[in-house]
Amino acid sequence: MSMRPDSYPDGIQVLEADGIQLAFDGRKILTDVYLRVQTGQIAGLLGRNGSGKSTLLQTIFGARVVPDASVRVNGRRAVPAFQTAGLLNYLPQAQLLPAQLSLRQAARLLRVDLDEATAAFPELRLQLNSRPEELSGGTLRLMQVLLLLHANTVFSLFDEPFTGVMPVHIETLAAGLLRAKQRKGLLITDHRYAEVLPLCDVVYLLHQGRLLKLGADPRAELRDYGYLAT
Amino acid sequence: MTALLTQLRALLLFYRSVAPFMLGITGLLAGFVLVPLLHDGQASGRLPALALAKLLTGPVVWYLAEQMRPNQYWFFYNLGVSRGRLWAGVAVLDGAIFVGVTVAIQAFFA
Repeated sequence: MSMRPDSYPDGIQVLEADGIQLAFDGRKILTDVYLRVQTGQIAGLLGRNGSGKSTLLQTIFGARVVPDASVRVNGRRAVPAFQTAGLLNYLPQAQLLPAQLSLRQAARLLRVDLDEATAAFPELRLQLNSRPEELSGGTLRLMQVLLLLHANTVFSLFDEPFTGVMPVHIETLAAGLLRAKQRKGLLITDHRYAEVLPLCDVVYLLHQGRLLKLGADPRAELRDYGYLAT
Repeated sequence: MTALLTQLRALLLFYRSVAPFMLGITGLLAGFVLVPLLHDGQASGRLPALALAKLLTGPVVWYLAEQMRPNQYWFFYNLGVSRGRLWAGVAVLDGAIFVGVTVAIQAFFA
């Protein structure tokens, strides 16, 4: 089991983001955002297509520069967050791994124990010497999630981790996410709400630029805001 | 120390992705400009212009890489290496290779 990075003491770590405002072509994408994730927690981020979910994750990660954006860990500013060693990693919707790297080489750079990462997916071990182009889309997606999930960071931000992954693997991966939250904080966005909602300790909805924290019955609120039909 | 090694490996990995362009330009400048100049004994005083030509191709490669592979940075971000640091590493490494090749060819013709 991976341990907490040395620079972060045991105990609850809190990641907060606010002050994020963004507009494209005059259309306000993000206007009123306050997001909080802590270790031991899975936070779900839902929203309609184009609502700014990926943009928000990228801003928190630090890959997208937004003036006045504030990202803090335990109250201390961490911008850009990805340059703070051991703080967080991010799975983009796009391919993560460079084409010339095998999974094993990528794991070495990310300092991930592949035996641990693939413990629940022994069939993947046959493909660890493969490069991304040699894998199916679903297998590649799953391996990318596993690499970041088992990397030694305090938080992981996952943008559509379940895309292309077959149902039996989604169930196993969901169990892995629940195990991982014992040592991490996870922020997940994915349209597979039926799989995401049971995992979440807190659910956020991006709606018309505002980030809403949903209550105890998120499905009802998701219907009210037009994210779910029934 | 481990983090520094990881960052160096990341820089080398990133350089590999742009090396065909960068080394190709170095090869073209060396083969089609520097060698003929040295062969004709006209290289004296023209090396700064050659270096400037190489320098000017850098932004072109950067622009093409940004346009053709906009998602190439995600893995490196996850290693804690910023876009600026990656390109600074490319500039230093490629500059060193260019100087090394130039010096070696000059020594050959000396």
